Amino acid sequence: MDYSNQKHPQNYSQMEDLKTLDLEESVSETIMRDLRMIAYKLKYVLIPKEQEDNGKELRNWDLWGPLIFCLTLAMTLSFKADSTTSSSKSDVFAIIFVLIWVGAFVVTLNAQLLGGKVSFFQSVCLLGYCVFPINIEAIIIAFVGSYLPFVVKLIPVIICFAWSAYSSVGFMASLVPPHKKKLAVYPVFLFYLFLSWFSLIV
Amino acid sequence: MQNFGSNNDLDEKGHVMTDQPKIKVKFEPKPKPSKCPICTIEFYQQFFNIEQRDVYMRVRCSILSWKPEFHECVGKNSDLWGPLWISTTIIFILFAGGNLSRFLLEEDKRHFKYEYNYMYVAVFLVYAMAFIIPIILGVIIKYILKSELGVFDIVCMYGYSLSVYIFVLILCIIPYNEAQWFFLMCGLANSTIFLLVNLRDFMKKNKQTLLIAVPIITFNVALILCFKFYFFRLIYAVDD
Repeated sequence: MDYSNQKHPQNYSQMEDLKTLDLEESVSETIMRDLRMIAYKLKYVLIPKEQEDNGKELRNWDLWGPLIFCLTLAMTLSFKADSTTSSSKSDVFAIIFVLIWVGAFVVTLNAQLLGGKVSFFQSVCLLGYCVFPINIEAIIIAFVGSYLPFVVKLIPVIICFAWSAYSSVGFMASLVPPHKKKLAVYPVFLFYLFLSWFSLIV
Repeated sequence: MQNFGSNNDLDEKGHVMTDQPKIKVKFEPKPKPSKCPICTIEFYQQFFNIEQRDVYMRVRCSILSWKPEFHECVGKNSDLWGPLWISTTIIFILFAGGNLSRFLLEEDKRHFKYEYNYMYVAVFLVYAMAFIIPIILGVIIKYILKSELGVFDIVCMYGYSLSVYIFVLILCIIPYNEAQWFFLMCGLANSTIFLLVNLRDFMKKNKQTLLIAVPIITFNVALILCFKFYFFRLIYAVDD
């Protein structure tokens, strides 16, 4: 197989073939490849038109993407948090970090307990990737929020919350039997509501 | 190797073949009984065996608390979905609503300081009320007072008794002292009546079991006092 022509693989399985070259390539190449993989998965999760194969790409779960988005969100919000009390910044960071990981864990556990047959990490991966819109709204509000009235700030918050929730709800609802769909979806809604509320008030 | 007839043909390895078609049987190993059944997911799956409609009916039973219909609603099918997500919703409302209530009262809105401690206190308070206290009471009711109600039945009942607070606490965002006390009292009455009415059959057995009403009422009163004096305390600006 000619690896030199496969520098930009079209899907993750082609990336598997490149893994043998890991030790031979430079660090920057490895990092760029991982970033491209994250970007690819992000596009897949957040843009519904890409999902033609019913979520099969999600089987190649990873936790790098969720970690990056979680850290970015926690750092953005703690950067913007009130600096007069020293504990506020660390409070915000800790709350967001714990909220995202424990929240994703509990929401996935809930889906499994309701009878959903899903790999645990696949679901955590999806919920982590869907935090990206909340990242965008947190950055927007962090930089321009102080110049805008409250009502105008609400608009990106609501749009990004709806985008996050819509992206993950389809997947979560498909995991459980039809008469339990709302029971699996409500925790997802609550999870993103918590995070959106934080990005609004900080 | 002898041939004992067409029914007992031998294959090349010397095993007896039969006329029946070879059916591939997939060998599934039996799941090993866990040393700690309460630690497995399978144990808790029995408590998530409900549908959307069931949750709606149970919350309705809880809000119409004077009708002792909860046991009919639930039957043998206690669930943990309700207690878990009702208490989590209440935590969110306490955190968001408590700070919002203070914000509405604040004169200097630009320098409003958000209190993140509300999150930690809310988590501790609500999960203690929704899980720890009913587990302790459930153990007392089941093992000491010998009731047919199980520990998880009591947890389920307590969880749904908190559902009225979702509405009460949203209304408590209104920053008026009298309004907040009024709503909290309504919530207290509703929640306590729900618990007592549904335990009434059990409490009729003898005088001793009536004593269980005391801690139930005490904990509910303590809960609304915490709500009022921590989350929805109204600090009025002092006029010099």
